Amino acid sequence: MTLVAVQNLQKSYPSSEGGTEMIVNVSSFNLGEKDQLALQGSSGSGKTTFLHLLAGVLLPDSGQITFSGQGLHLMDESRRDQLRLNQIGYVFQSFNLLNGFSCLENLLLTMELKGKPDPEHAGSLLQAVGLGNRINYLPYQLSIGQQQRVAVARALVNRPKLVLADEPTGNLDPENTDRSLQLLRSLCEEWGSALVLVSHDPRVIAQFEKQIDWEEINHVKRTGSDMNNFSKRVEEVS
Amino acid sequence: MSVSFKLAWRALRQNLLTTWIAIFTISLSGGLFMGAWKTKQSVKVAFAQSAGGFDAVLGARGSQLQLVLNALFHMENSPGNLAWEQYEAIQSHPGVSEAYPFALGDNYLGYRLVGTTSSLFAKHEWKPGKKYQVKSPGRIFSDSAKEALVGAQVAEEIGLKLGDKFHPYHGLEYNPDTKHEDVYLVVGILEGTGTPADQVIWIPLKGVQMMEGHDPAAANFISGVLLNLKGSSGLVLDVKYNKQGDRATLAWPVPAILSSFFNRFAWLERTVAALALLMALVGGLIILATLRSTMHERRREFAVLRCIGAGRSVVTGSIIWQSMLISLAGVIGSLLIYLFLSQVFSIVIRSQIGVNMGLPFLDNTILFTSLGILALGLISAWLPARKLYCSNLQESLNPHG
Repeated sequence: MTLVAVQNLQKSYPSSEGGTEMIVNVSSFNLGEKDQLALQGSSGSGKTTFLHLLAGVLLPDSGQITFSGQGLHLMDESRRDQLRLNQIGYVFQSFNLLNGFSCLENLLLTMELKGKPDPEHAGSLLQAVGLGNRINYLPYQLSIGQQQRVAVARALVNRPKLVLADEPTGNLDPENTDRSLQLLRSLCEEWGSALVLVSHDPRVIAQFEKQIDWEEINHVKRTGSDMNNFSKRVEEVS
Repeated sequence: MSVSFKLAWRALRQNLLTTWIAIFTISLSGGLFMGAWKTKQSVKVAFAQSAGGFDAVLGARGSQLQLVLNALFHMENSPGNLAWEQYEAIQSHPGVSEAYPFALGDNYLGYRLVGTTSSLFAKHEWKPGKKYQVKSPGRIFSDSAKEALVGAQVAEEIGLKLGDKFHPYHGLEYNPDTKHEDVYLVVGILEGTGTPADQVIWIPLKGVQMMEGHDPAAANFISGVLLNLKGSSGLVLDVKYNKQGDRATLAWPVPAILSSFFNRFAWLERTVAALALLMALVGGLIILATLRSTMHERRREFAVLRCIGAGRSVVTGSIIWQSMLISLAGVIGSLLIYLFLSQVFSIVIRSQIGVNMGLPFLDNTILFTSLGILALGLISAWLPARKLYCSNLQESLNPHG
């Protein structure tokens, strides 16, 4: 059964020359429930923008995204917030844990946004990612790999239907990369969540049965100098 | 507890130093303003209530204000002397209900000796329904003996007690070289009244008039007469003494004269008000700067929260909570500083002029100042919160990756 369906999706940004620059141009993309999919593409090629579009963080210039049959373009911002809160988990490259909050509090706060904090569930999830003995640690007291595991637990804590992982292993060494990836995939499977993971690392992509080359589905033509300029701008902004 | 509140609380704890600086500055601004403003008001009220229950003072030709301050608050020098006949004349005036002559000119260790008649303590009500009370087993002095009735504050400060004897000193300022030979016996200690009466030593009028070393001619003069008037007789006496006469001054009505005294300090009120506005501005800017600096640090945190489903209201709410918590702590700090300053001012004023300011009270000025601080917090939060509300989530995250 289809969880996410994308049709004729386009997104542009104002370019430095004054016009607009198309970043995303995807004519069709489908994701089934519980699917696990890896999107491979080079840095600065619009993958993150695509994830933001799927999550309803951004609105497309044109085209449609449906989530469980509901059109994102028909939802107001507050409903899109609710959709993210209830149905989508997010894992970031830099983890983005809330610094003043302990591991447990990071998870509870996410649950509290939904109005249902459940310390037992949050604790069991931290247990599942191997941090049961560090639930009260603050993010800076954890190693990079441990922080990533908290980020994975946080993404799953509200039992989402879809987990979006944006270069989740970008800051990890190969050993932690494999461990985190395995954890993320097994937990998604266990909790029945679909997973879309974007990465530029072929080693990560190779671990997925379903792989999509981002440049193949994103019909945006760029010259070499375009890419360089674009990447520079991305670096400037981020 | 809402997520916004938790985020705000955590942000405050994470930026403890900045938070404390902001709270301290606001507390100091608010506290100083409340303290200065309320002290001014309290002093005004306390002065008006400390006039000893008199409507008017008759004294030598001169300033009405000097007469009131001298006769009722035991401050300043006497503007001059009044002939005994003047006392007799006003005492028998049909518009006068009470008249007590008084004479000044001596002190004991810097505390003024006020000569008057014993009827002041037997009949006069210094406050409606309240006469002066002598602590048991003391009594009121006899008009023809060298006896003294000691004000409560004097007794407390220099330890004069029943049965003690002392030599008065000439003049209103203490000078060890001007000791009189007369010896006075303490026959009573007055109960405290919270008025300047506590700050003097009362002796019989004749004692001052006929003190050893005083000019014998002074026996026919007094410093003034404390008066209570009937109905509108003040107007008649005002015309008689102030407008038509040229030998005495009637200081009447006492509240209006005191009010004119405080009007002299209107510039101080304006300065305090201007200072308060300036402080409010500084307080507001400090909150704004605190929020701006923490917002810069928290920008990414807010973006992450939005990505995991927090609405705009949650993140902007946390900014508003952060500001309101600083303001609320500022209000509490302001009140504490105000109470502290009030106590300090109260002690200083009590020891200097004997006026009891009473307990610091919470009224509309304090309420509005507190609400003003909270409003300031809300206004200061408005700009950053609005900016955050309108900001594009994409700008805070890696936009085109």
